[in-house]
Amino acid sequence: MNTRAIANEFAKMRHLRIGLVTAVMILAVLGLSLYTVVSSPTFSPEAPSAWNGLLAGMSLGIPLIFPLLLAVLASRQTDIEHQGNGWLLQATSGLTPGGVCRAKFTALGLVVAASTIGTSLLVLVTGKLLVGIIPPVSFAHWAGFTGCMLVVNLVVLAGHILVSAKVDNQLVALGIGILGTILAVFSQGLPDVVAHLTPWGYYALAMAADYQGTGFVALPLPYPSAAALAVVAVVLFTIITDRFDHQEA
Amino acid sequence: MSSTIVATENLTKRYGSRAVVENLNLAIPEGAVYGFLGPNGSGKSTTMKMLLSLIQPTSGNVEIMGQPMTRDTRRSLLGDIGSLIEAPPGYAHLTGAENMRLVQRLLGLDRQQIDSAVATVRLQDQMDKKVRDYSLGMKQRLGIAMALARQPRLLILDEPTNGLDPAGIEEMRNLLRRLAGDGVTVMVSSHLLGEIDKTATMLGILSGGRMIFQGTRAELTAASTPDVVITCSDPQAAAATLGSFNARLTQDHEVAVPGLDDRQTAGVVAALVGEGIGVYGVARDEQSLEDVFMHLTAGGGL
Repeated sequence: MNTRAIANEFAKMRHLRIGLVTAVMILAVLGLSLYTVVSSPTFSPEAPSAWNGLLAGMSLGIPLIFPLLLAVLASRQTDIEHQGNGWLLQATSGLTPGGVCRAKFTALGLVVAASTIGTSLLVLVTGKLLVGIIPPVSFAHWAGFTGCMLVVNLVVLAGHILVSAKVDNQLVALGIGILGTILAVFSQGLPDVVAHLTPWGYYALAMAADYQGTGFVALPLPYPSAAALAVVAVVLFTIITDRFDHQEA
Repeated sequence: MSSTIVATENLTKRYGSRAVVENLNLAIPEGAVYGFLGPNGSGKSTTMKMLLSLIQPTSGNVEIMGQPMTRDTRRSLLGDIGSLIEAPPGYAHLTGAENMRLVQRLLGLDRQQIDSAVATVRLQDQMDKKVRDYSLGMKQRLGIAMALARQPRLLILDEPTNGLDPAGIEEMRNLLRRLAGDGVTVMVSSHLLGEIDKTATMLGILSGGRMIFQGTRAELTAASTPDVVITCSDPQAAAATLGSFNARLTQDHEVAVPGLDDRQTAGVVAALVGEGIGVYGVARDEQSLEDVFMHLTAGGGL
């Protein structure tokens, strides 16, 4: 791994408002999670299923907020290479475009991992301190959901980095981000088979809880599907960035 | 005699059936300022990209500093090659100093190398400004500073004077002279001879992807025989007499005959005298380097 290239990607983030976009992602999901429980007439902090309300809120908030803002992050971090002739600058220093994309994914991936885990922890802490949920939390389910969301977020991020690198016009990347948001939200109403077909569908598959009947209930998490998605994404990302390394300037 | 730092052998690049560069045999002596000239679309940028292994030749070889330039060797060779290809690089949202720090980190350079490169292009007072606020000339200088930071033995510059005003072009010429004085071999391309002929010690002229001339300025001028201009008593009759030599009348009522060597010139004069035409004067036409270039590239769509 080229640590110098990764360090450079962090340096390039200056003035790109990456921190602001990340903060918006976290706070928006927190807000939606809290709204879900506050707006539910049956929610009670003493109920055994109280944590499921917040999980259901996150299961709605992350697909609604992350896909578009991941597209924004990837687009901002990649478009600077098109605008600043950065691909050639780095290629003439021995760092080919595939290597640049891998460095971008590592740097932005760390940011996205921190924001995904941070969102999850913030919702957890808020549930305990602000909402005052009394029953103990199922840490395994909570961590499993966070892990699944992290996988999907990183896969979507990787896809957006590749799109932004390949297509100069960033409106295309942002358009795909909007389409992804729609797919992420509406896949909840689609059969599981269909939801497996796009990376955004996995947001719906990985719902940790939902409102059913008279209250929030925990849902099983699709670990095999998330693992398969991760494997396919790693293989595709490796192949495509390797092809970028061999493409002519 | 200086050694050759860049050599190509039958370098060819084809896209489908279209040859962009064909059988190019470049030879750039170490320490030279090599002016790489040609009309737009003649294959200059493609050649430079092949030298840097940014694109792969269809056939032929590139040798730089005595080593073949391939995908396997490019990483080590690029450490000694600075380049500025197409538009000048620079992240607009960062300052000049932040851009230079990216290059420093990427290449593992020390601070002194960066400061020296910035001082060479005289940009030290503008380093805290964001690149988006730079003029084009300043962006070009920053791009050259990025290329110079690794203290290269070879500097490849693709049309560095593009878009510069006359003062910027003059500054670029001075910079190239200073770099050559410091022992850096510079390969600089342009589609305008006048921009680099005063700085280049060697010229290579490309037309339609083929090298049509390679040598010094003096060799270039000598390569194109100037017209013989004859002043005589009956220019029209003289032009008709010399029709087989493609003679033509000039606006000054003289007769210009192209492509004659000294022996043929004597024969032409004798023929005119034999026809009873009084010959008052015979001279070689003065040709500027620009004329020679235009002649060699057949107008070239400049």
